[in-house]
Amino acid sequence: MSTSFSLYIPRESGMHRLHPLTKLALVAFCLVLGLFLPGVWLTYLAFMLLIVPLAAWAGVLPSFLRAVFKTALPVVISVFLVQGLFWPGGTPILHLGPLSLKQEGLQFAIRSAGRFITVVSSFLLLTFTTRPDGLMLALSQRGFPNSIAYIMLATMQIVPRFQTKANTILDAQRSRGLETEGNLLVRLRALLPLVQPLLLGSIIDIEERAIALEVRAFGRPGPKTSLLVLHDTPAQRVLRWLLLLAMLAVIGWRLYLAIAPRLAA
Amino acid sequence: MERLRRDFSTITLVMIPVAIAINIAIGQLIYTLKVPLYLDSIGTIFVAAVAGPLAGMLTGALTNLVWGLSGINSFYTAFWITGAVIGLVAGLFSRFGWFKVWWRAIIAGVITGLIAALISAPILTYVNGGVTGSGTDVITAVFRNAGLGILPSAFAQGVSSDPLDKAISFFIVWGVIRALPLRFLDRFSRAEDIR
Repeated sequence: MSTSFSLYIPRESGMHRLHPLTKLALVAFCLVLGLFLPGVWLTYLAFMLLIVPLAAWAGVLPSFLRAVFKTALPVVISVFLVQGLFWPGGTPILHLGPLSLKQEGLQFAIRSAGRFITVVSSFLLLTFTTRPDGLMLALSQRGFPNSIAYIMLATMQIVPRFQTKANTILDAQRSRGLETEGNLLVRLRALLPLVQPLLLGSIIDIEERAIALEVRAFGRPGPKTSLLVLHDTPAQRVLRWLLLLAMLAVIGWRLYLAIAPRLAA
Repeated sequence: MERLRRDFSTITLVMIPVAIAINIAIGQLIYTLKVPLYLDSIGTIFVAAVAGPLAGMLTGALTNLVWGLSGINSFYTAFWITGAVIGLVAGLFSRFGWFKVWWRAIIAGVITGLIAALISAPILTYVNGGVTGSGTDVITAVFRNAGLGILPSAFAQGVSSDPLDKAISFFIVWGVIRALPLRFLDRFSRAEDIR
């Protein structure tokens, strides 16, 4: 694969050598922490004490943090502006001209930002440390449909080609005099001549691909062999079960906190 | 079961990755044009039209998963449910022949957009704190300032962009179906619903 549509970084780290399902379980645990930890600050703790050390262990920390920053920044800024400044009827703690920062809004924004950063960084941790084909193989071996694995992997290979194609069409139409800059109406009018060739060309192509797969017994049921070999250990199997239990515990804790006051009342 | 096997024929399974790639490539192209639209579900709607609601659901859900897990737009992953529902609804409209006439396709798009906004709003509220991190957050701020809750404001923001976006997407898919040769469309399981 020349260019792949993924931020995966190959490294010889312990994190990378883990079985893909173990990494999936770790990331799912981080995700559950992000989504279900109560309070305002705990998600930040999960990010600093679990996700960042895992990324450091994988040896991808600088590019990982850059990606988290890039993805999270627009939403984090926006949540502080929108919810912090426009919270209806909150307690103002700082006046900024006609607007004021509300205490309730600020608290909501801090909680939301922590949750968002934890969720985004969990997904990115999986992306940076897990080969897509390894993950799909591991899932197929556990009874996940082969066709879905094919769809995921084929997509990752097709997207970069399509992006090149889209840019070629953009250049071609521009050289024919198509206006792609200017006011909104001009840009909207440019839409169709750009979208149409990309759509029709790529849809017509698939017939040949379908025939190519058919003659290679793609639709045949039964076990398939793979070039990739995955390593699993008993310790990792135990760890996966423990992570599953920990996830249930966190969700249970959150549910308890939500229900307990109502039971007491 | 037989219907399911026919919906997920090899041609559909080959179409789905291409459709996902169309979603992503056009989605990013639109971003460079700086038009206030997404157009990132044209592939999903096309698959739903030619191969039924379930194939559409799969395409929509996997678009968000692949796009998100590629690391380009990580938080899209959480919106896989919205993608799935867009595919489902588009497939149902196709089932009842709404892709045969252009204005019906547009109405179907508006309704799908409203449903998409309805599904996205709770996810947006819980995962993103009610904002998208893009220009449409101004609308959320206006509604918050007017005293609306976080969830209704997030929904209002969706309503301001999703129905128009899906109406245009449905119209484009209607045009694509007209432009494709019948011989090609007939390879799909739901060809009789769209011609």
